[in-house]
Amino acid sequence: MPLHIAWRILTHQKGRTALALGGIFIAILLIFVELGFFIAVPQGGMLVYDHMRFDLLVTSNKYIFQAESWQFPRERLAEAGRNSGVAEASPLYFGGAKWQDPQGGLRLDIAVFGFAPQARPFAVAGIENQTSILERPDTVLVDSQTRSLFGPLQAGRVVELNGQRITIGGDYVLGTGFLGLGVVLANEANFFRLFPNRRPEQVNYGLITLKPGADPDLVARELRGLLPGDVQVFTRPELAGHEVSFWTTRTGTGLIFGSGLIVAFVVGIMVLYQTLATQITRQLPQFATLKAIGYSNAFLNAIVLIEAVMVMLIAFIPAFATAIGIYAVVRSKTLLPVNMTAIELGGVLAATLLMSVISALLSLGRLRRADPAEIF
Amino acid sequence: MAQETVDGLSRARPDNRSVPLAWRNLVSNKRRLIRSSAGIGFAVLLMLVQLGFESGFFNASLGVIRQLDGDLFVLRASKYRFGDEDPFARRDLDPAAGVAGVASVVPLYAAWQSLFWKEPGGDKSYLVQAFAFDPDRQVFLLPEVNEQRGLLQQQDAVLVDRRARPFLGMGGDARETEINGHAVHIVGRFGLGPDFMSNGTVIMSEQTFAGLLTGNRDSAAALPAEFGVIKVQPGADITAVQQALAAALSKEVRVFTKPQLIAFETTFQADLSSAGPIFWMGTLVGFVVGMLISYQVIYTDLADQLPQYATLKGMGYGTSYLVRIVFEQAALSAIIAFVPAWLLCLLVYYVVGQLALLPLHMTLNLTLFSLALTLAMCLLAASLAIRRVVTADPAEVF
Repeated sequence: MPLHIAWRILTHQKGRTALALGGIFIAILLIFVELGFFIAVPQGGMLVYDHMRFDLLVTSNKYIFQAESWQFPRERLAEAGRNSGVAEASPLYFGGAKWQDPQGGLRLDIAVFGFAPQARPFAVAGIENQTSILERPDTVLVDSQTRSLFGPLQAGRVVELNGQRITIGGDYVLGTGFLGLGVVLANEANFFRLFPNRRPEQVNYGLITLKPGADPDLVARELRGLLPGDVQVFTRPELAGHEVSFWTTRTGTGLIFGSGLIVAFVVGIMVLYQTLATQITRQLPQFATLKAIGYSNAFLNAIVLIEAVMVMLIAFIPAFATAIGIYAVVRSKTLLPVNMTAIELGGVLAATLLMSVISALLSLGRLRRADPAEIF
Repeated sequence: MAQETVDGLSRARPDNRSVPLAWRNLVSNKRRLIRSSAGIGFAVLLMLVQLGFESGFFNASLGVIRQLDGDLFVLRASKYRFGDEDPFARRDLDPAAGVAGVASVVPLYAAWQSLFWKEPGGDKSYLVQAFAFDPDRQVFLLPEVNEQRGLLQQQDAVLVDRRARPFLGMGGDARETEINGHAVHIVGRFGLGPDFMSNGTVIMSEQTFAGLLTGNRDSAAALPAEFGVIKVQPGADITAVQQALAAALSKEVRVFTKPQLIAFETTFQADLSSAGPIFWMGTLVGFVVGMLISYQVIYTDLADQLPQYATLKGMGYGTSYLVRIVFEQAALSAIIAFVPAWLLCLLVYYVVGQLALLPLHMTLNLTLFSLALTLAMCLLAASLAIRRVVTADPAEVF
């Protein structure tokens, strides 16, 4: 019965309801966007890992985050390879180089990954089908997200990396994540020509793939027992937890988007409260009439609560659809993993319902003032 | 409520425009006023917070540049931002001292990618921003640095930033730690704060810097410099000195005034960091939400006061008078909502600034810009809602 009345109220003045829905739609959309950023921005730190082939990652025990990884002795990988669950353990090297056009100009910082192309550490089509190019001497592949400041990225262009003349062999689409302004990939020989002070014996990341059926958690535990204390072993979920918590808690990122999220939530409550309070004021005579003919306060409260939840749910659907569109745009522009997962959907739905309950409770005070004797 | 407004009118004649009708409409129902101010105010707060974060992010990376005590700065021509390591040979600085108008030239050494600070008492090491100079000379404006720089003469002495991100452990009272595995003594602290790129800052003498980088304190004289910090003689024309320096120095380097150095870094941040667009989008959303809220508020107010407006019309007031009242009322709502939102924002800036170690400050520019946005938002909303008043028909209302 309250449901029926709430529905009648909403459909009574369609223009007014549409206006209210518009406001709430924007408020929900704002929460979607802020939550998307809150979750996705720290995950920018996982972008490159998410496209790498490994079941377990071995790093130095001094590892901070992907771009500050430190190094560990390569023999740890051979030691890890003795575990019965390990199929392959291959090294990946990382360094920061200076990029400059041979004609001069700015000397820009660029991140360089070095690896054996046959080890296929990256699960990216644009890298895998250019393996033969990677094997050429003094040739690199460049990430297509490398900033325009670096000039054209077309194949055949010669640039200076750390003073060495290097040819761009081609580009690939992955994204630079939080590694800086640009990323290039080189084979091991080219990598060590770029960084003459680096030795192949000192590795940045050890990528371990397991034999089919091996349990990553079990093998990780075994490796931790087997390997000396100068390295640590991450499973994929542990690595994601580590990187995301680094960006969320150790930088301003989490706080900034977290406070954006809270502000969006409060704005949403205000918009909905505003809408409900207006509706109640307009229908005060009707509510007072209901009271006069004997309906209880609880009954009237139920109407308002149901109305609030209903408005929220109706506005939720277009907001959800629009958010998917916005996520897609942001994803393609930033290559950040802004995705509509169960966390975003459930989180916003829960926040939305909470908002409608809070705003309904706020506006109930107005309903109590519905005095049949005063209205007429 | 209606009573008050009509009372106000009864004292006015149609030709008397001095009755603050918009104001009386607004304050006639206090409850409604609080409700609508809260709604508009939150939209204002949303815009202020987003705008504040945006400028906070930029200011964080400019903070250290603003604290440099120089009129002109020499840096390598290929340097693309303040914080990239691209030093030049120190001898490139030698001709500068002979240029007319130059009072002093001090080489400033810096590192962003080379020095790893060990958390005192912990076991992890982190990259930090480091500056090094001759402790007898003044390079920074920070009073705490200038009071304590004499202590940097001691071997392996460093000053550290107590506002660095907490995980570096610079804020406590530890006296000993390691940089690049080499023991250093913390002889004092200053307050600067982190930015996008660096989590904390360390200041030391050239010799200590050389020792940490190369293992040889005596190699300081051969170290390439990141900046030449130049002061001009009192009364000298900075631009003229800049041109003379550019002519006298190698083409490997360029000379910036301090505002140019700040603009150089701002351009880099604006072009390449994705923080700008994210905050602009937030501001835009705040504006749209605010417009919707104020439309809702103004529309409702007008609907409530329709009989009064119709009465005015019936008494012979023209549409333009009514339109003016509606816009005045919208502008007043904007200002009334702006004040508490602005005050609340000061608190938000303070709390978030302390927690996120961001320089969030309310400035005149920020205040004026957000006030303009708020007024625009409310006036736009009023222009959408006004049709209702214009079409108010006295005969229909009663």
